[in-house]
Amino acid sequence: MAKMQQLVEAAVASNPDGLIVSFTDEDALGRIVQKATNNGIPVITINSGGDVARKYGARLHVGQSEYEAGKQAAERMQEMGVKKAVCVNHEQGNQGLDQRCDGFLKGFDGNAEQLATTYDPTAIRNAVVAYLNEHKDVRGILTLGTLAAEPMLQAMREQGATDMFTLATFDLSPGILQALEKGDMDFAIDQQQYLQGYLPVMFLDQYAKHGLLPAGDVPTGPGFVTQENAAQVIKLSQQGIR
Amino acid sequence: MQSNTSSKPAPHSSEKPDERIQRVPFWKKALSRPELGALAGTVLVLAFFIVAASGTGMFTPAGIVNFLEVAAQLGIIATAAALLMIGGEFDLSIGSMIGLAGILIAIPAVEYGWPLWAAILLAFSCAGLVGWINGNLVNKTGLPSFIVTLGFLFILRGLAIGISRLLTGRTQIGGIHEHMQGDWFAALFSGEVATGLFSWMAAQGWIATNFAGNPLVTGIPVSIVWWLGLTAVATWVLLCTPYGNWIFASGGDANAARNSGVPVRRVKISLFMFTAFSATIFACLQVMDTGSADTIRGLLKELEAIIAVVIGGALLTGGYGSAIGAALGALIFGLVQMGIFYTGVNTDWFQVFLGVMLLVAVLFNNFMRKKAMEAK
Amino acid sequence: MSKRTPMIEMRHVSKHFGSVIALSDISMAVCSGEVMCLLGDNGAGKSTLIKTLSGVHRPTDGQMLLNGEEVSFKSPAYALDAGIATVFQDLAMIPLMSITRNFFMGREPTTGWGLFKRIDWKRADRIAMQEMSKIGIDVRDPSQPVGTLSGGERQCVAIARAVYFGAKVLILDEPTSALGVKQASVVLRYIAKARADGLAVIFITHNVHHAYPVADAFTLLKRGGSLGSFRKEDISREEVLNMMAGGAELESLDAELAEFQHTDQEDQRSARPEAAPQNQASSV
Repeated sequence: MAKMQQLVEAAVASNPDGLIVSFTDEDALGRIVQKATNNGIPVITINSGGDVARKYGARLHVGQSEYEAGKQAAERMQEMGVKKAVCVNHEQGNQGLDQRCDGFLKGFDGNAEQLATTYDPTAIRNAVVAYLNEHKDVRGILTLGTLAAEPMLQAMREQGATDMFTLATFDLSPGILQALEKGDMDFAIDQQQYLQGYLPVMFLDQYAKHGLLPAGDVPTGPGFVTQENAAQVIKLSQQGIR
Repeated sequence: MQSNTSSKPAPHSSEKPDERIQRVPFWKKALSRPELGALAGTVLVLAFFIVAASGTGMFTPAGIVNFLEVAAQLGIIATAAALLMIGGEFDLSIGSMIGLAGILIAIPAVEYGWPLWAAILLAFSCAGLVGWINGNLVNKTGLPSFIVTLGFLFILRGLAIGISRLLTGRTQIGGIHEHMQGDWFAALFSGEVATGLFSWMAAQGWIATNFAGNPLVTGIPVSIVWWLGLTAVATWVLLCTPYGNWIFASGGDANAARNSGVPVRRVKISLFMFTAFSATIFACLQVMDTGSADTIRGLLKELEAIIAVVIGGALLTGGYGSAIGAALGALIFGLVQMGIFYTGVNTDWFQVFLGVMLLVAVLFNNFMRKKAMEAK
Repeated sequence: MSKRTPMIEMRHVSKHFGSVIALSDISMAVCSGEVMCLLGDNGAGKSTLIKTLSGVHRPTDGQMLLNGEEVSFKSPAYALDAGIATVFQDLAMIPLMSITRNFFMGREPTTGWGLFKRIDWKRADRIAMQEMSKIGIDVRDPSQPVGTLSGGERQCVAIARAVYFGAKVLILDEPTSALGVKQASVVLRYIAKARADGLAVIFITHNVHHAYPVADAFTLLKRGGSLGSFRKEDISREEVLNMMAGGAELESLDAELAEFQHTDQEDQRSARPEAAPQNQASSV
């Protein structure tokens, strides 16, 4: 984080026409963004931190509300009939992941728990297995990123239990898309990151040239990928768009 | 001056030396072994979980395999780290080597259609080269290995990210499982052994079924076999071979060892190569297991390995320690890491729990070792 | 004294480290069954000389001959193989390792073959015990760490190891300097024994009183150069002391010490040699 702080600081110091920043940590980056906006540099935040960046003068946010996305994931799972669920958090302390998880827990209204693990795929897989053996009424599993999704999928496949559970994850990878297509995984939440890279550059370009800027935040997600649209997403991802 | 000899106590030439060797009781010898404290720590941690996780599945066959598998992966690198630390050096690049080795296996196989065995050999060759460079830099510059390998911690992680972004545009490479069919070399790093025994045990009703209705354990994961095998080989090397004696000597006092004709440089280079190889074994097991490689793999594993070795009774200053101790250190780590999921503690407290348990294990280990020294 | 071929000989050996001349034109010869005392104050070049003899350094100039043949060592291991064993001041002993492990460090006896080649611990323990008891040290357990032995005992283990491994030339670097009187005498006695066994011994010290009783000849070093080699019968203890301390310093001390020293030396001649270390004048 300290390193990112320095990078952003250096970027602001170079006095650019605009700044696009992933606002991952309010305490670390708030002051710097404030400095940038004080100097008249238009700031667009992307990916995370949309809810707080306004306080520091950011013009708008392009991304998904992590909390909202987590909540929608919970609602979707409940619609699919899940009563109790678990959210696997492989990096506690990462604001984005924590918000996804918080939203999910809120959406389940007390019927979901957080399972905190390390990054290590073996540890994640074995933790999921250990947890499920102790909580046999849990039927929904949400992972917060590809890093945790693949070991979780592997555990389910090894046990032949993919159909028993409603499995969902944030973010996409070739492995996850394949699992969606096969029906091993039920849905994935895509924040449509391509848009997060593309839109703010276009916005700032318009702003610099003509002073034009959208009036509000642009929610790029949550976009849900399921078995129905997986094939199309695979094609797009090969072109680097999803 | 010979006249004075009579006043000195004469050597007990009448006594047979072999008898005197036997005079030292076995238990006293055991007390002076470095792994004693780790054994005590393991017993303590086990006792804690037997109480705290009673009535849960932690100590069913599945639960045991579950935490042993986590211990095994750490144990594989901890064994090599133990030998290196006894030899008086550190390797902080182990974790990054895991990430790089995974990438080196996955990219040639998935992107360029290499047979998996060739990709694995490539990874091992690169690991050997990295270990060789590490060892030579430490030998030639006389800099602390802590600094030299810290450099490689960044270089190797950076290479993993750089190479994989350059060649694939991604930091995660999947789809290894499709390439594993019929590859004899890859088979060494994947699957389970003794599956027959376990299905027989399940048929006898000795093994319960799991949440999905399958027998809880179908076999012993191959990583556990690697772990036990490497620990056994390392112990044999340390205790029974000249090379083992040279490792102790190189770490105890490199100068003295050199003066006695021990090839200290060669010993150290080979130890650095062995840690890099162990990281590659770790990477192979994980890549074959998960079917994917990721540049972030192995993050902080070097520290976990050093912790396991120190819990195992090795001195940070070198010249003292044991491979069995390192294996017990890894076991404690695995127990604690997986044990928390059975204790019902909120996982928000995961790291505090892990840290406290490790600290308790080390303190107890230290206490037991001091007691043992006093008993001498 | 003898016209035999010296076991080890240096001819006009020099050693430079960059612009620093550590040794210049040193010549000396030691026959088997002889103890050569290498005397010199701090900085005289003793350490460089030993390291050159034992293969740590290679001479810049001059020749080294072992049993009449010119030799050049790439590393201490080659010198060791040729039969030149050096017991360094830091003892080349590792305190945390067992007596047996130390005794056989670098030359472990093995049994079995191929992948199953292993240290023959039974034999190693037995030999270590035997060799230790030969020099009068009673070892309870050869697997006990060397760190549990006293300084003199450790020194003896180091010498015993060198002798056991068939050293022809034994170089001892200040073997008694860190020891108490009693322990030093144990070591001195053992040096005499090694000589009796036919080894050529080079005994480095700055303590004349330790050197004189066991020495057959002396070589004096000063500021990297040699003041010459002398047979014991040709030189008295006072003369050795005199040359070591070197004119001016000694003259100023002479007045104060003359009488004191004189009586001491009278005592020593009548006393057993082992009493010498007890002498207060031993610190030159």
